[in-house]
Amino acid sequence: MLKGSMAIWLRDMLILRRSIFSELFAVVAYPLTIYMAFGIGMQGYIGLVDGAPYSLFIAPGLITMTAVNAAYNESVWSLWFHRRVQFTIESYRVTPVSVSEIVIAKIFTGFTHGIIKGCAVGLVIFSITPFRFPIENLLQYFLFLIPGSALFSCAGIISGTIMDKPETIGKVEAVLVMPLIFMSGLFFPLSSYPQPFISWVRLLPTTALFEGARSALIAGEMLSVSALQVTLSAIITFIMAVYIFRYKMSE
Amino acid sequence: MSTASIVTRSLTKSYSSLTALDSFNLEVDRGSIFGMLGPNGAGKTTLIRILTTLMRQSSGEASIEGFDTLLSGREIRRVIGVVSQENSLDRYLTARENLELHARLHGMERRFYKTRIDELLELMGLTGRQQDFPDTFSGGMQRRLVIARALVHKPQVLFLDEPTTGLDPQSRRTVWEYVRSLAGSMTIFLTTHYLEEAEHLCDRIAIMDHGRLITVGSIQELKDRLSGATIYEIEFSGDGATHYAALLGSMSCVMNISRMENKVTVTLECWECLSEIVTALNGAPVRRILLKERTLEDVFISLTGKKVRE
Repeated sequence: MLKGSMAIWLRDMLILRRSIFSELFAVVAYPLTIYMAFGIGMQGYIGLVDGAPYSLFIAPGLITMTAVNAAYNESVWSLWFHRRVQFTIESYRVTPVSVSEIVIAKIFTGFTHGIIKGCAVGLVIFSITPFRFPIENLLQYFLFLIPGSALFSCAGIISGTIMDKPETIGKVEAVLVMPLIFMSGLFFPLSSYPQPFISWVRLLPTTALFEGARSALIAGEMLSVSALQVTLSAIITFIMAVYIFRYKMSE
Repeated sequence: MSTASIVTRSLTKSYSSLTALDSFNLEVDRGSIFGMLGPNGAGKTTLIRILTTLMRQSSGEASIEGFDTLLSGREIRRVIGVVSQENSLDRYLTARENLELHARLHGMERRFYKTRIDELLELMGLTGRQQDFPDTFSGGMQRRLVIARALVHKPQVLFLDEPTTGLDPQSRRTVWEYVRSLAGSMTIFLTTHYLEEAEHLCDRIAIMDHGRLITVGSIQELKDRLSGATIYEIEFSGDGATHYAALLGSMSCVMNISRMENKVTVTLECWECLSEIVTALNGAPVRRILLKERTLEDVFISLTGKKVRE
């Protein structure tokens, strides 16, 4: 059933392979700059956060942010471009491939972009900065990174499906996606929030993602509830993405 | 087995207050080249989108090679090739990769599609450019590549939605040659704005307007369905045109008359009236009398009241 998805995913991977160096250069530059500016530049002023040096505190979040951002951006722009500009989605739809197979392929493409780019940033931070973590913690970290990338890839598919104008996509990213990432404890501990807010912020899947990823990578501590929260959010968003895409295509 | 490849019965598509297709009935013979003509907004694209399963009808039935569009979408998409109005080539893939992706979407195995793609690139004159990206192609070459893509899986029915719109006359003729070369091997359903294209390519033509089928038949049948009136153009030498135009205009069998310089065009009730005209012109400086052939444009205007591109 997923032969069509595989064909489209392989097409997307061919394009990624062709542009991998320029893509990685651009993707790595942003989190690395933030790491240098905040992690290294500010650590003398900030000191320890939750018992860890500030540069160590933000590193897992930056790697995770790169992955989920890449997943979201690839999904939203790719789907919009193929649907509204290049009309390739329409050319797929007149083949025996089903609409569900098309959207699944695009979700996997976004997810793959997220994982590859997140890992690339992780490697760069690991190799050129003092940031270190026990290698055995990686497995637990991936239990957050994989559903997190899937979640943002599905969210990108939803945005790319329902938004017809590129400027709207940019606005959603500015007022929804980035605040969701930045307000969920990427640069500061949740304890900084006023007490009444904390329980609300904890409901966000992004908070579970960034908190859980940090605990897993630095301390090797598995926050099972957070992992479940991210995974469930990814599953729900996946179902929504497939449904919305199918609905939009049937219009 | 029925000889009809495409069948619609009372096919209707409505968008709130607008009816894009209104109880549309059509049968297209297997292996024929069928042309759908209509002015902009007539419903041609809606029809083609329903037939290619991109859109669902509001009511009525449509089938392709016996498969119902509502129940057997995947089976239909296995047997059709589609050349849409938009250039839907993947600009990040080379010409060959575009065809390979399409073959894989049709579930073809590499050992089968490799030789098929070689054949198609050769047929379309694109072998030398197969490793180039479509953006570097001329409009005509891109169109040929889109047609090649639609043929990779050897479809039984090929849909061409205004296949030569925007092409220069030379590229248009090249595309026509390719389409004609396919005649008989598959059913071809094309929509077009160009009457010349329809006349050149199609075995049968349908004319639609406001979502309704107005008429269908061969080009000759459609021309014959016009009223029995015949049109002659009489060319005079010297300056007798004005005098004889007035004379002919007073005759009862002349329905309509117009003059341009030394040429007078008369519309007669029937061809039998010609002898009366010849008698009236006895001694006139007539250089020649021409029977004007009815064109498809005449048929179209008489049926829709407008030119095809209006």
